[in-house]
Amino acid sequence: MIRFWKRNQALLVALAVTVVGILLVTRGVEPKVWVSILLSGATLAALYFLVASGLSLIFGLMDVLNFAHGAIFVLGAYVGLSTFANPRLLFNTLPLFLAVTSGALIAERFGMFLWRRVPGKERQQILWWVLLAVATGILILGLRGFPIRPLNAFNVTAVGGAVPTEEAQEPLGVMIRRMVLLVLGGVPLGLMTAPKERREERPRQPAWRMVAFGAALLGLGYLILILRNPGETFFLNLSVDIRFLAALLFGTLAGGLIGMAIEIVLIRPFYGNPVTQLVLTLGLSIAFIDVIEGVWGEEGNPPMQPPSFFAESCRSPTLWAWFSENCGSVNVLGRAFPTYRLFIIALGVGVFVAVGVLLRRSRIGMIIRAGVQDSEMVEALGINVRQVFTFVFALGSALAALGGVIAAPFLGVYPAMGNTFQLQAFIAVVIGGMGSYPGAAVGTLLLGLARAFGNYFVAAGINSPFSEAVVRGSPAIAKASTVLIMAIVLLLRPAGIFGKKGSS
Amino acid sequence: MTNILEVNDIHTFIGQFHILEGVSLQVPRGSITALLGRNGAGKTTTLKSILGLTPPSSGTIAFGGQEIQGQLAHKIASQGIGYVPEHRAIFTSLSVEENLRIAERKRGDLAERSDFIFDIFPDLERLIKLPAGNLSGGQQQMLAIARALVPDNQLLLIDEPSEGLAPVIIEQVMDAVRQLSAHTTVLLVEQNFTMASNLADRYTIIEAGSSVKNGRMADLVEDEETIRRYLGATT
Repeated sequence: MIRFWKRNQALLVALAVTVVGILLVTRGVEPKVWVSILLSGATLAALYFLVASGLSLIFGLMDVLNFAHGAIFVLGAYVGLSTFANPRLLFNTLPLFLAVTSGALIAERFGMFLWRRVPGKERQQILWWVLLAVATGILILGLRGFPIRPLNAFNVTAVGGAVPTEEAQEPLGVMIRRMVLLVLGGVPLGLMTAPKERREERPRQPAWRMVAFGAALLGLGYLILILRNPGETFFLNLSVDIRFLAALLFGTLAGGLIGMAIEIVLIRPFYGNPVTQLVLTLGLSIAFIDVIEGVWGEEGNPPMQPPSFFAESCRSPTLWAWFSENCGSVNVLGRAFPTYRLFIIALGVGVFVAVGVLLRRSRIGMIIRAGVQDSEMVEALGINVRQVFTFVFALGSALAALGGVIAAPFLGVYPAMGNTFQLQAFIAVVIGGMGSYPGAAVGTLLLGLARAFGNYFVAAGINSPFSEAVVRGSPAIAKASTVLIMAIVLLLRPAGIFGKKGSS
Repeated sequence: MTNILEVNDIHTFIGQFHILEGVSLQVPRGSITALLGRNGAGKTTTLKSILGLTPPSSGTIAFGGQEIQGQLAHKIASQGIGYVPEHRAIFTSLSVEENLRIAERKRGDLAERSDFIFDIFPDLERLIKLPAGNLSGGQQQMLAIARALVPDNQLLLIDEPSEGLAPVIIEQVMDAVRQLSAHTTVLLVEQNFTMASNLADRYTIIEAGSSVKNGRMADLVEDEETIRRYLGATT
């Protein structure tokens, strides 16, 4: 008991102070108001958590502060929205991505033969830049004039769209010419990422298998291309729920793949050089948002249509009744609470448990926990820790993108939607202790509740703790509350609530 | 007696600094070889260079007859080299069992060798479910060595196992190293000359980044001149 107290002193004190503080300021507030504030806070916390958990794991394991995390959240939301409302965009761009990937994968397999012929670091460096220039040139040539805006003109969930399909899409012949160019553009990209020295060589797939895989990707791209019209019609005629599931799936997948690509191409060459990585991810975050604005436009989109379970405009008296009535809101102690937000909370808790089980029960989870402490020692045990890095980066990015998709029906989809989440996630990670997974959960919960109570404080005012007067906060207070919590926690415990790194 | 490890004239830079300026050493199969030298001579860097954690810029390293220099650390290790680093580097947030299990290179390594391991370190069996952070310094050192025994390693690189431990515990660690050396080869870095001379069959002395002398430990113990000159200690 004493030992437990000693070990969790800071956490318990923080909890006690929070509880007492909340009780003081909410004296006289009815329980139903209370509970709905708590639920709103939990909703925010769940979304923060999806961003913060990946951020924390990535920092803990690789010491990379990933500033691009918020941009991946936004990307997830946009890919989700496009899947849901405007699959035409995906049907026309997916073949192009597949073309680049297939070229790059095949070239990567054979890249070492090229590098072996060019010995010496300096000459290799020159060749690397030449390849980059060639790749950029071919890719620009391949993408020039691609009608991205008409393809994407408004997200109208109807066959034909705002700009009729036939007018928005390029003819098959032009698309195929683009695909050929992009395969060629992928080749120098693949060569660039190929191992440059014998020592980096990895266990390889047989050459024919890599070529076959690349060809299969290309074939898949071609198939998507020729099926784009019936595919669009078919997909848009599916029910809202199936399209929502597809949005979740594709958004998350896109986030994971982008995260993987970022780690392999940009982060991996710079381990041990944290400033470079930090500036890189910061630059990426800006570039990503610009690309998103370029593709989807600067103007925001209204909230995405939620699945049918949350769609009926009525209020279910109990949670149980909601299962049959599918109302948009449910009765919580006499107040309406949107059911979709309950879904967000449930998903947040589900992800928390699932990733927790992964970390606790699986071998890769054990390696991640060990690597957070000392990744060099993990490597010295004969474990390919770089692969684990890539996995964690992809996992964290996928979670952030998932957060973006589920936020879409709640907040709408707009280019700046990631800013608050990235900032709050960073604060939560600092509060919880950098690199600590439970810390990320506790930190986000604290922040979510603080935001919700802060908002209530601003909107309704509260009874001040020691007098009967009602105090109303300015909106700035609600925003500052999270930073205040961070300051208090850091004063009490500089490494964060669960933090170990940097404290010893 | 064949050499399981042959290091030939390696040079290692860390950042700008030329840390190793020509280290050569041989480790005969089945022996305990001590790597001696003053603080900062480059003993730890030599171990890390063998393992690829600080890859040498030139020179060759042959392990079991195969050249391994320039490969990635995890590949070198998985060819059968165990590492017990300075300050132990056990994973304090994992349980004792997890610290052992993470070292498995194939499923069942631990089950296969647990009798052997707990025979040498009987304490660990009792502590198996505890978080490794709760262990005492001596127990952590035992765990670090035990971890290196989980896979079938032919060579162990052990760095300063006596550091920071009480004399009684040092005795236990020495016993353990002696026992395990019946099964595997050891390259040992040790400041404590008494311990090193008691354990090792052979030695290599490193002075300011280069290897200057090697031979049989029995000869070195007699050679007070060399000990005074390179180790600055008396026996």
